[in-house]
Amino acid sequence: MGPQHPMTHGLWTLRVKVDGETVVDTEAELGYIHRGVEKICEARDFTQITPYCDRLCYVSAMTWANSYIYAAEDLLEADVPARAEYIRLISAEIQRLASHLMWLGAFGPDIGNLTLMTWCMRDREMFLDLLQELGGSRMHYNYPRIGGVKRDMPIGFADRVIAKTKLFEKRLDEYEMMLDESTIWLVRLQGVGYSTAESMVDAGVSGPNVRAAGVNYDVRWAHPYSVYDEIDWEPSVEKPTSVKGADCYDRYRVRMEEMRQSCRMVLDALNKIPGGKNTNYANGDEMIYTKAPTRAPEGATGFSNYECTRGASQFYIKGGGEGRGKNPYRVSIRSPMFLTIPYVAKTMIGYKIADIPAIMGSFDPCIGETDR
Amino acid sequence: MVGSITPEQNATAAEACLAAINDRFGGSGIETSVLNHSNAKKYAFVRIVCPPQHWIAVSKWMKYDLDVNYCSMVTGTHFPDGSPERGWEVAYHFLRQPVRNQTPNTCTVHDVEGLSGMDIPMEFEVLIPLPHGDSPTVPSIQSIWVGADWNEKETWDLVGIKFEGHVNMHRVLNPNDSPEGFHPLQKQHKLRYHDYNEMYDDPQGFMRKPADEGRVK
Repeated sequence: MGPQHPMTHGLWTLRVKVDGETVVDTEAELGYIHRGVEKICEARDFTQITPYCDRLCYVSAMTWANSYIYAAEDLLEADVPARAEYIRLISAEIQRLASHLMWLGAFGPDIGNLTLMTWCMRDREMFLDLLQELGGSRMHYNYPRIGGVKRDMPIGFADRVIAKTKLFEKRLDEYEMMLDESTIWLVRLQGVGYSTAESMVDAGVSGPNVRAAGVNYDVRWAHPYSVYDEIDWEPSVEKPTSVKGADCYDRYRVRMEEMRQSCRMVLDALNKIPGGKNTNYANGDEMIYTKAPTRAPEGATGFSNYECTRGASQFYIKGGGEGRGKNPYRVSIRSPMFLTIPYVAKTMIGYKIADIPAIMGSFDPCIGETDR
Repeated sequence: MVGSITPEQNATAAEACLAAINDRFGGSGIETSVLNHSNAKKYAFVRIVCPPQHWIAVSKWMKYDLDVNYCSMVTGTHFPDGSPERGWEVAYHFLRQPVRNQTPNTCTVHDVEGLSGMDIPMEFEVLIPLPHGDSPTVPSIQSIWVGADWNEKETWDLVGIKFEGHVNMHRVLNPNDSPEGFHPLQKQHKLRYHDYNEMYDDPQGFMRKPADEGRVK
């Protein structure tokens, strides 16, 4: 199945061995959109790498750019002002909303609910417009900088965020009304695609997929970064109904809850942001940006552990590259989906072919970050 | 409000790991240290520099005795101009996550600031320097963590580091019919086409001067 297949959410091939309708064995083949980002980054300055990171997972670009920026700040030993951390948090959580809506908008049609596609895309437009105000374009923002952010929130941005988030919370109720009582939705998702927490962690899966299996582990509190410890939020966690672990329905519920939590986080962060939510500081002002060193000596390394939309993403950067340290020597990108996809391929064994889109979609694959 | 791991929890956990590793492996060429990140909250992590022959023992002990359950990254780097004993380096990153299987209809909501001992999440970095040569080899930990499997495939595919004992090694990001021995992240594969140097804001070279000959940026 693949590489061009509507269920795959990206370009990859799933080879399936079947016995009648039952899946007997699977094998995943990745690498169709391997763009060599890790090698390219060895020839770029640290600021020039940020746009590449947006394009790793294009659906969730702001979180990937932030993930890279934290690693670069570790390498270059840069400080970040508090207001910039708040703005990064707000932008990352709005991006999480947009990404989960994209997931739901693709997952619904997999199960057969084509209405979800249009509803989710409509709501996603609200958040893409917000991110466009911050970053300049709808999907690839090039917004965070090493030492802060590029520009402050525009005047009125906070009011628009509050209005759209409050509207969206009501829309989430509509989605749940449509889905949680739909027989087809429940029959196709419940009892399908079981995976236990420990097997997922051993295989390298993290994020909402593991929280669906009953443990509220989240990088945002476990390896804290930014200002998540100052705002009001809870990681969303589901109670799996079986000893076999979480099924697709649990993974769907976790992401719906996460969308509610992201709304809550954004509203709380706007209340607590230093400098106020209706002020706009100039580009490069010390409230939002601290000038960072641009060279990293040989032997310096930077590492970041970040809760991306699909799991824990890490960047590992070794300094001392070309241009007497202006470029990195090695950039290594760890995508949560790279290990999730082979794991999910094995989860499908024993189910029917018709369950494959449900299982695959519930894990929320994004191939851009897998193949880099 | 969920809270977060405090600096004290983090420091205690890091020191406890350091003491446990030194207790078990001290004096056998394995150097362990606790370092602090320079980003975010500047938390501590454990770095282990391990010679390849001890790697299987260390990794098994980490998994079963130190509860390190998450293998997240395997990075290979090629240092053609590095010191004699560091022509290649394999960097492993692990996490210890307090995640256990749940009995049905229950979930674990950790009391974050009450976590203690081996439940405190911790980051581990293991560096294995390898000497120069054409076939850097490291024992495979595929049988210890399932997550190491595809990470090792990717490292071999892109960098060329061989993992001894790895079953079913195949290309994972490069095309399946890539030439034998082609590992793009090795440094002899040039980044620029014929060493052509371009200036960032002047791709057609209108502002290039004779003095820029040989300059990279």
